[in-house]
This record gives sequence, structure tokens and C-alpha cells, in this order.
Amino acid sequence: MLCENCGKNTATTHIKKVINGVSTQKYLCGSCAAKLGFTGLGSGSIAGMLSSFLGDMLTENAGLNTKRCAGCGTSFSEIIESGKVGCAQCYSEFYNDLLPYIKRVHGSVKHIGKVPNSAPLAVAEPNRIALLKQHLNDLVAREEFEAAAKVRDEIKELEAKEMQ
Amino acid sequence: MANWYNEIGPESDIIVTSRIRLARNITGFPFPSKMSEQQRAEMTQKVKKALLEINAPFAKNLRYIDMGDVPEREVYAMVERHIISPEFAGSNSTRGIIISEDESVSVMIGEEDHLRIQVLKTGLNLKEAYDIAERLDTLLCQKLGFAYNSELGFLTECPTNIGTGLRASVMMHLPMLDYSSAVRELTESVNKIGFTMRGLYGEGSNAGANLYQLSNQITLGITEQDALDNLEAIAKQFIAKELEAREKTDKQLLEDEIFRAFGILKNARLLSSKEMLRHLSLIKLGVSMGIINIDASLPIKLLVEGQPNMLMRAFGELDSRERDIKRASFIREAL
Repeated sequence: MLCENCGKNTATTHIKKVINGVSTQKYLCGSCAAKLGFTGLGSGSIAGMLSSFLGDMLTENAGLNTKRCAGCGTSFSEIIESGKVGCAQCYSEFYNDLLPYIKRVHGSVKHIGKVPNSAPLAVAEPNRIALLKQHLNDLVAREEFEAAAKVRDEIKELEAKEMQ
Repeated sequence: MANWYNEIGPESDIIVTSRIRLARNITGFPFPSKMSEQQRAEMTQKVKKALLEINAPFAKNLRYIDMGDVPEREVYAMVERHIISPEFAGSNSTRGIIISEDESVSVMIGEEDHLRIQVLKTGLNLKEAYDIAERLDTLLCQKLGFAYNSELGFLTECPTNIGTGLRASVMMHLPMLDYSSAVRELTESVNKIGFTMRGLYGEGSNAGANLYQLSNQITLGITEQDALDNLEAIAKQFIAKELEAREKTDKQLLEDEIFRAFGILKNARLLSSKEMLRHLSLIKLGVSMGIINIDASLPIKLLVEGQPNMLMRAFGELDSRERDIKRASFIREAL
């Protein structure tokens, strides 16, 4: 069967689309399929893009697979596969792992937009603590103990507040 | 109250609609793909309660619709008039929508994020649309508490939306840029500067209604104001380029094309979706160039109401042939 798009090459890709309950089919050759945006990763979806981006990084960080988010149990490799983050806490737990990807997508790693004036403290804090812990580890690794001590104190203070 | 496709707005000749979408997640629940059905139901109830308590002038007469109670035809008719996304329509999970009477303000509950706050305005009207979305967001945030951290902003299921969570878009009618294939090049150029363009209602040159959606891609490291300003600046460049192309074209040839399209729509007995889109696009062009004198909102109104599920919503269950007959008579009478 010839490609329905160019009519020249042999069709190698079968695309079935269901739009609004109406299904249509197309037989395309490889190059037309690619040209029309039908790649192996779910029609070039953002999730697909994410998983391929993250996939590249995973090979560099193969040791990360085992860690799971304390909030929802999602592992970094699951995030890579689905392109979806499991919960808000994942962003703290996998902060350093996600950062290169975030930078690649947005060209930035720092939010400068709207700040919710009413982010309830009780829920905003766990993120802050996780971020600080990550920061603390980095400081210790770099042997910047003085700065690390300050961060440690801040974490203690926040955790104490949480306990109340 | 009139829906978006029954009105015209600023720059309506080319900019059909402006849309704001804010992605938000509620603290205390995992993101939707990790939620149990019970958590979904719980979250939906929480949002429903908070939303229905809001009685602000910009969100009048909000009502909650459980998507599970909506017949399939109406679900897809909602997609056709751009109230919900196809993903949301196709999902089997517990999901609901809160929607204003004129459908310009809506909140999808349980899509890719817990909440998708949407405001849709006719014409180039991004600022007004954002203003409404922002106020609704602030009220909801006070009641519900949204996942946020100071480094990454609002947290979303897909990292491509973190930061502002703001996706702003305009739907543009670009027939002359489409006929000359300039749209393809322009799509590539806007991609390079952090914007996306995709075809709506039938993609590709000469195949559809020449309608394109332009939206921002970057949500982190940019303020909402800058994102909106950039989008508006690019939309205005598209307007200028489209008008320039219209100016340069062979008027006689175009007039002939437009009146032929009018003749077909005025006389056809069977009209497919595809044919309708192509001809209505020419009619819209004719109206904005002063070649045809009909109500300026009519081409888009017919284009939306002539979609398969919208037709069946108005006229009952129809097979493909019956739809083509109904579409032809409906448009014949309206023109």
C-alpha cells in the first residue's frame, strides 16, 4: 500500500485517530508520518517530549531510579516514563533531578510571576523544608559548614513550628 | 446571554477569540494521574463548594455540571464550542465543570491538573480575560490553597506548566497567509521564540477554516504581564501581515472566489463539514473586506453551530448523510 499523503513511498505507519467520537485512519510512509507530526511518542505530545528529554538525562543519572517521593510514592523513573509529576512534593523531592529539564523547557528555574498572598502556611512549608534539606546536603557536600549550620537551624525552626 | 461565537469583539476581523487558562492544583491531594476515584470525588466536592460560594460579578450564575451526567453528544458539542478539551471529554474518571451562564468563565475539575480556570472572550481581549481569571484564581486560592513554592511558582502535573501556570491564546483567522503558505514559515518562527501555533477546525492549507491558535509555551521565569504583552504583540504582527497580504491580492479573483463560496452555501443541498469550513472561511474574509454585507459574527457562528455534534444538539441524532442535509439547509436559511 502506498502512502496516502505523498502517494510515492510504501506506507509503513498506520494512524488511527478518534476525534469527537469519529474515527479516521491513515496509512503513511515514515517520512510523511514524521512530517505530519506522528512520532512514536503519542503524536509528539508534550508528555512524550518530556519523557524523551528526561530519558536522555536518565542515562546520565542511572542511580536515581530507586528513590521514591515520600508524598505519593512516585519514583523519578516513573516521572520520566509518564512525563507527569505525581504530586506537589515530588518537586521538592526530585528538585535537583528535575532542574536541568525545567531549565531546558523554560530557559529559567525561577518563578517571577504571581505570588499567592494567601498560600496557607501549613501546606506551603513542607516544600520549603524539603528545599532547605536539599540545600543543606549540597552545602555539606561542598564543605560549607557555616552556611550549612544556619540552614540546619532554619529547618529545625520550621519543623518545630509544624509540630505545634 | 450570548456565547462567544454569537458576538464580535476588538479586532474580530482577524482575532476570533482570546483565551486564558490557569493550571492550579490543590494542596493535600496528589496530582490527578495519581488520584484514587475517592480522592477525585472528594476534591471535586471541595472545589464545587468553594466555587459556588463565590458570588462575584465576573462569575455570575456559576453552575456545576457533573460530566458523568452529560450525554456523549453534548460532551463533544462542548469540545466543538471550545468549552472543554478533547482530553477532558474523553476521560472516564470523575470530573466536573463549573461554568457561567454565557460559558465565558469555566473551571474544569480533574483534567490534567485539579483545576483549569478558563476565560474566553471574543476578539483580542487578553487583558480583560486575564483580569477575570486572576480574580477568580485569588478567591479560589484563599478558599482552597494551591500547590506553590517560591522557586517554581504554581506546581502542575506537567513541568511544562509550572510557574505562572498561564496559557494564553488567541484564535486567528488567517486565510491569505494560509493560501500563500506563509503560515508554515511563521509557525516555525514563533516556535523559536517560545510560542506555539496549531490549526483549528481542520488543519492545513486550503483544507479547513484557516483558523489558527497561537499560544505561549513558557510559564517559568516570566511574569503574567510580560507573557500577555508578548502574545498580544505577536498577534498584532499577524494582523498586520494578514492585512498586508489581503491588500496585495488580486481583488477581482478574490471577489469571484468569495461569491462562488457564497453561491455554494446559499444553494447546496448536501454540505460536508469540510466544505462548510472552507466556504465559511471565504465568507468571513469577504465580510471583513467589505465584499459581502452580512452580520459580521455570522460566519463564525455558523462554523461552530455547523459542527457535527452541535448540529445534533440542535436537531437530534442524525447519521452522516442526514447531517450534510441538515447542515446545508441550516446554512442556506441563515445566509
